[in-house]
Amino acid sequence: MKYSGLAGGALTLAGASTAGFMAGKNKDSHTGFGRAPYGKDQFFNRKPFLVEKPTYRVVGKPSRIQYLDHLFRRNSELRRYIFSGAGGDFQKVRNEGTEALPEPLKNYYEKNPSAFEEFFRAMDKAEEQRANWEKYKDKYMLAEAWSTAHASVLSGSGSFPQEPRESPEISDFEGVNSSRLKLKSPKHGSGLIKKITHSFGATLAGITAIKEEWVYQGSLRGAGRGDFKVPDHWKYAVVFAVPHEWESFYANPTYGTSYDAYTMLRFISSKVETFIKEIGYPARSHVPPTSYDLVLPPLGIDAGLGEQGRNGILITPELGANTRLAAVTTNMPLEPDKPVDLGILRFCNKCKICAEECPGKAISFEDSPGKEIRGFKRWSIDQDKCYTVWNSVATRRPSGCRICLAVCPYSRKNNWIHTVAREADPRDPTGITSSAMLAMQKNFFNYPGGDQYLPPPEGENKTYGNPPDWLITEEWFDF
Amino acid sequence: MGALIVLFFAGVRYWLQDLGISMNWWKWALLVLWFTILGITLGGGFTLMGENEWSAGIRFMVFFGVILLLAGAGLWLILTKSRAGRSG
Repeated sequence: MKYSGLAGGALTLAGASTAGFMAGKNKDSHTGFGRAPYGKDQFFNRKPFLVEKPTYRVVGKPSRIQYLDHLFRRNSELRRYIFSGAGGDFQKVRNEGTEALPEPLKNYYEKNPSAFEEFFRAMDKAEEQRANWEKYKDKYMLAEAWSTAHASVLSGSGSFPQEPRESPEISDFEGVNSSRLKLKSPKHGSGLIKKITHSFGATLAGITAIKEEWVYQGSLRGAGRGDFKVPDHWKYAVVFAVPHEWESFYANPTYGTSYDAYTMLRFISSKVETFIKEIGYPARSHVPPTSYDLVLPPLGIDAGLGEQGRNGILITPELGANTRLAAVTTNMPLEPDKPVDLGILRFCNKCKICAEECPGKAISFEDSPGKEIRGFKRWSIDQDKCYTVWNSVATRRPSGCRICLAVCPYSRKNNWIHTVAREADPRDPTGITSSAMLAMQKNFFNYPGGDQYLPPPEGENKTYGNPPDWLITEEWFDF
Repeated sequence: MGALIVLFFAGVRYWLQDLGISMNWWKWALLVLWFTILGITLGGGFTLMGENEWSAGIRFMVFFGVILLLAGAGLWLILTKSRAGRSG
């Protein structure tokens, strides 16, 4: 009996170890890439953490974000000027400085001179990487093919959905079914739309009323440039999210692209838009990185999906910072969800891993959100430095960098060990749990650090997680 | 797994009897707790290794393993105290 007991104990411990190993390895625990299309991936019970007001701090009069505050729009505006007004001569525009720029670029860059210089630094890095690509192209052939495949549905005549060609007052009403049944209640409306959104493939879905300050000013798709009122029929936003594919997500930015999540979101949002129109209400899709008129992370916060992170990303309990967002605006009667306080903001105050690991030093190290931006206390993100990193990654063309998302301690699988952390931390008012988790995170895990993620000369192209075999060229090809 | 755990503690009971260690409810509770934490430590470490975080898994097990070793030594002293008292 004594020796049988010993054997039993040894087998129990071996069983615990094997079960743990299998739980860690299980690909179904990658939230959003599992087998549940019926909303089961939104598994975290938010009910105990609902609050009346979102956790972001309003410290002044909220104002709308100008479209030039958006990096991509600003950069494309500047590029358009360089090619149409300056004959494609980047150096000439750089030398002439902000003085020679047309409005509203001139006004923007005179207020933000470092952004002007950073744009040209990014272009220098892009040129450098284009020259280096010959050196990398075989090694990263599969990663490049994968990224290009994802991006293929984003541009040109193959783009889905097509960009609106008219103002929201016209285009959002095109194709709306004129025979509309009476909805039982806004609550029924929200319940239905969230289920439908999940059925179309969204991992997370929530509803919020639209606040004016989350709508871009100065440009509106289908209407052009100018100052626009928020359209009257943009009453609610259905906000939804999917993650990036998890294995490539943890790897060096060379192996990843933002388009893998955004193309999924394009399909989901197009279907949600069509569905809402089919049941009799106007709708418009908003999908980054190019086709949107709303700032999405604060909408996600208002819709109770998660909280603001130090890296400027919406952090959710299910997906962490691996949360990519899109929305559909409508006037269908809906009941908004409440925001949540899960302690994520408090965790970000002390964590700072994303700021430490950012190759561009673009993320603030401040202990708490200290900068007042458009009436809100926020951590500042230097978008221009971030974009320079995009251009420094060993890819054929700038495809992005997601280091700050990958290293976030919340970006974890849905298995028992992370469930313990996820459930315990928001219930601990002392903060001891989060401090203990953070100490383990910083001491047990390997972080290459800042520049090391970049190719030479800045770094050694190091990675946080190993790339999946299906993106490693030498696993499949001789070269 | 449940049957193996029952078998283990049944075996432990005989080991402790043969060693002359008398047990009561709180000593059993401490022993069960220690064994549970040992299982969680191994499970946690191997979960991280399964996630391809090999060094994090090893560090996790070494860190909590050392703590468990010390706690185990303390537990052994507590359990054998009654035996020492009786034989003395």
